[in-house]
Amino acid sequence: MECKFVPSVCSYCGTGCGVIFQVLDGKLVGTLPMKTHPVNEGKLCIKGWNLHEYVNSFLRLKYPLVKTFGRFIKVRWDEALQITADRFKEIIETHGPDSVGVLVSAKITNEENYLAQKFTRAVIGTNNVDHCARL
Amino acid sequence: MTIKRINFLQELLEFMGLGGRLHLEWISSAEAQKFVQVVKEFTEKIRHLGPNPLRGFTLNNLTLDVGAAAGTAAKTACPEPKETVAQN
Amino acid sequence: MKNKIKEWLKSGQIDIFLGYKTLQGHPLPHAFGKDNLEDIDTLITGSNYYPLEKIATKLVAEKPDIKIGMITQDHSQRALNVLYIWNQLDPENIKPLKGDGCSSNLKEHADDSHREAGKSGQFKKQFGMNTHASIEEAEIFAQQERFQRWMYEFQKCIKCYGCRNICPVCFCKQCSLEHSNLIGTGSLPPEAPIYHLVRAVHMAGRCIDCGLCEEACPADIPLRLLYRKVNAIVTELFDYETGSRLDQSPFSIIGESITLKLKPIAAA
Ligand code: SF4
Ligand code: SF4
Ligand code: SF4
Repeated sequence: MECKFVPSVCSYCGTGCGVIFQVLDGKLVGTLPMKTHPVNEGKLCIKGWNLHEYVNSFLRLKYPLVKTFGRFIKVRWDEALQITADRFKEIIETHGPDSVGVLVSAKITNEENYLAQKFTRAVIGTNNVDHCARL
Repeated sequence: MTIKRINFLQELLEFMGLGGRLHLEWISSAEAQKFVQVVKEFTEKIRHLGPNPLRGFTLNNLTLDVGAAAGTAAKTACPEPKETVAQN
Repeated sequence: MKNKIKEWLKSGQIDIFLGYKTLQGHPLPHAFGKDNLEDIDTLITGSNYYPLEKIATKLVAEKPDIKIGMITQDHSQRALNVLYIWNQLDPENIKPLKGDGCSSNLKEHADDSHREAGKSGQFKKQFGMNTHASIEEAEIFAQQERFQRWMYEFQKCIKCYGCRNICPVCFCKQCSLEHSNLIGTGSLPPEAPIYHLVRAVHMAGRCIDCGLCEEACPADIPLRLLYRKVNAIVTELFDYETGSRLDQSPFSIIGESITLKLKPIAAA
């Protein structure tokens, strides 16, 4: 049996509370507030307390789906990326880059969020980027 | 069991500032006199305690009420209190 | 102490040892295993306290036969006793190792100083309940004022369930605090004072006064004071000191002869 405690930072909002994840046999089973963290001093809000739940949620997507004629179709990653890129190009060419907006999520890491805004600004060329937890 | 719980609750409510509003009495169906007396006494007491402070309780006038109850002059910092009339 | 733990692990008396270790500059809970005995040299004890008993309960829920050693303080021992009583842990499978420090003034030698939070502010003292007040200090206010002060505290609640989540003796699968028939949903603050009183009542004969809930409360509600009073009532009425013995709480025993008296209707 392997039991680990991994320090991390809550990803739900900009406050950045310190949390400890409890990992049992490689599976995330619990979250505790970090008492010595300067931001939250051992306190969390309800979102932080339930951080571990979305990781193992059965509602999570595990592979890309493409919506065609109103139905979601399972595709390979390279296919999905190709379709997305083509459609983006098409839209940007006809309507300009400001016709695209990007909404990023609190449920991905800071680094991924950074990449997303970089992608929006540098590749697509618009400032239409926002985050669900921009408090 | 009941008596344990009620005794416990009475003390807890007292600590919370809702003391005296809970009462337990065993009255058999043959004891009409006792029933009348207990109900009378308790009604009298509740009337004396006034309406339930939880009714018409709003957060806005809370600090003001505390200020008034504590006898401090907190009125300057807060807006005028709205009258909360207990409706029966 | 460290040698003892190594011995225990080596001889198979325990499978896992729950203690603390500094990781990335933070003292964090850590599970020491058999495979890495040197690791135990990094064990630290001292000022930090996490609900190791709760973690142990979780472990046991996954692996019922696991043997756990853990570092304990006075209140952890009480927590373990309560968990034994409620059949959440098996005393056979738990090996406590006494560390230092106890945070409760239920004990005479208690030293709470290392966990003293910032002193209550002026406003809180004027309109609310001082977190560091004793039961007597909380009782000097008249009934109406007491009520107002407690309500001021309760309406700050953000319903994070932190008090329940961190509590070492809260283990119920279905929590009353989440039951929509008992406590209304969809409002913030949660229905005061019902939310807090429900939890307070459930802590009767259960809370071992470790203070974790109060530490975890983002709204700085003096929960510990409330639960301390609850258990003071239990001690007064039933002569039962939570966690210091291994018999059932007075609320779970039925059919005992009545020694309590009904209270008369006192003049208002
Ligand atoms: S979502 Fe809550 S726990 Fe997470 S960082 Fe924000 S305030 Fe802290
Ligand atoms: S003090 Fe709080 S956290 Fe500790 S046992 Fe009591 S209710 Fe639970
Ligand atoms: S920890 Fe405090 S704020 Fe959170 S639910 Fe409990 S009383 Fe409310």
